[in-house]
Amino acid sequence: MIKKLRYPLAVVFAFVLPLIVSNTYYVTMFCLTLIYMIIAFGLNFITGMTGQMNLGTAGIFCLGAYTSALLTTRLSLSPWIGMAASAAVGFLIGVGLGYPSFRLEGVYLSLTTIAFGEVVRQLANNMTSVTGGAQGVRNIPPFTVFGYEIVTKIQNYYFILVFVILFAFTAYRIIHSKWGRAFIAIRDNIEAVETCGINTAHIKIVAFTLAAVYGCVAGSLYAHYSAYINASSFTLNLSVSFVVMILIGGMGNLWGCMLGAVIVSMLPEFLRFTGEYYQLTYSILILLCIVFMPGGILTALKRQQK
Amino acid sequence: MVVQLLVSGIAMGFVYALVSIEYTLIWNSMGLLNFGHEKIIMLGAYIYAGTMIMDMGMGYISGIVGAVFLVAALGVVVAVGIFIPLRNMNRLCAIMATVMVGNIINEAVRLFYGPEAMTVKGFMNGMIRVGGLAIARAYIYIIGISLTIVILLEIFMKKTKTGKAMRCVASNKTAASLMGIDVRRNMAITTAISFAICCILGIAVIPVFSVSSTMATMISLKGFAAGVIGSFGSLPGAIVGGLILGIMENIAGMIFPSTFKDVVAFVFLIAVLLVKPTGLLGKKK
Repeated sequence: MIKKLRYPLAVVFAFVLPLIVSNTYYVTMFCLTLIYMIIAFGLNFITGMTGQMNLGTAGIFCLGAYTSALLTTRLSLSPWIGMAASAAVGFLIGVGLGYPSFRLEGVYLSLTTIAFGEVVRQLANNMTSVTGGAQGVRNIPPFTVFGYEIVTKIQNYYFILVFVILFAFTAYRIIHSKWGRAFIAIRDNIEAVETCGINTAHIKIVAFTLAAVYGCVAGSLYAHYSAYINASSFTLNLSVSFVVMILIGGMGNLWGCMLGAVIVSMLPEFLRFTGEYYQLTYSILILLCIVFMPGGILTALKRQQK
Repeated sequence: MVVQLLVSGIAMGFVYALVSIEYTLIWNSMGLLNFGHEKIIMLGAYIYAGTMIMDMGMGYISGIVGAVFLVAALGVVVAVGIFIPLRNMNRLCAIMATVMVGNIINEAVRLFYGPEAMTVKGFMNGMIRVGGLAIARAYIYIIGISLTIVILLEIFMKKTKTGKAMRCVASNKTAASLMGIDVRRNMAITTAISFAICCILGIAVIPVFSVSSTMATMISLKGFAAGVIGSFGSLPGAIVGGLILGIMENIAGMIFPSTFKDVVAFVFLIAVLLVKPTGLLGKKK
């Protein structure tokens, strides 16, 4: 019963949530969690399903945010055009990052993606004439829907939620398509996939492109939601948290991505009662989680039921 | 000017080389990439500056010995408790676990020593004048210390029984255990040596970066880059890669604005990976 109704139930719950918990601080956190969910959906394609380590997600996120922010503040274009441009940039990054991925494996790929993330962050921080440098970009205009500006936190929450549902639905369809099956097959046995006549290079690029487009659109949403972005927030640590999200939730599974995004962004808040030890407690909990539940929390729960 | 840049480039090159040697040791022995090494380098510097020099008032040299000893002991604990059980896990999980170990150490350091940066007064300070050139004494020390470590490590690996066993474990674990080598104990020793090198590194860069929680972020990332540029998993490759990277980014600092120094290093890494993924010294597969 619950299994059949879980999708509508989740949507209803997400819609009701800010009515129950209307504290602005918490709604702000919910918005961020939703944005992270979109990134986790994207990263799931490349790291969770295809098994290619990507530690440059913060760079993708950063490029998306800056593209949208600069187009709207410098050229005063509509945020919607900014978002479209971000998606286009995501497409370009995906093809660009995907190209090395069919020559590089494992460690080399993780280092290339780390280098990519660092280059993006350093450029955003140092090309002062274009990006505003360490000052960041200020006064990014909000989205407008039919003439209404999305300004308050609650409005933003529902606005982003619509995107999350849209992207979750797309991701669901992709996971259950020919592409999705090819992604998983590449992770499990790449030689067998090649023997079946599937172009693995092409499929890897598709996975990378999806991840980059998701990440860039999330970046655009983030920029217009927070109205201020700064290169110093898109560090390697952020990339690591994205991987942690899909890892502890359950890899290759949308529910796992959502659970991971919720845990990574909310758990530190719930651990505030430990005072200044909350970061330490958080790291230890995540470490234990990885060591004892290597497949993620959802996989561990499923195994328990069996 | 060029000579000064060259000297600082060589010194930083040796720092990157040592970073890449330190993680290569663990990689060869356990097939685990230690992403937490940045925090170990920082921990070494903190233990030296905070505990050995400030709290216990030790001399410079005895402080180094004490700090290296402590960090190496931590290495054994981390190896036995976390790295050795992890090495057979899915690579993604293993990498993330080492990151989390690093975060735990980072937080512990912040809680124990406080968030402020510190320095060690008078430690490897000053300039040396050769002809008309002024060269920071710290760079000369770094080059000296690194060369000593590299030579000692080479002798250890080639001449001693433990070192030979380490090489054996690196090339074939099954054969090693059949020859009567205690593989797990050997891995613990390797981790301890790797952590000790991290600690020495952290102490050596104190005059350049001062002691803070982010002091090792860049050198650890560039250490990774150095290893890949040379040839991943080989010690000569690590040294060549480190020196190329160190000298190149300093020369690049003359051509481009110095803020783009870090960008140059990573763009170079990506370029090398695209042209020759096995590294400059690497053999073709």
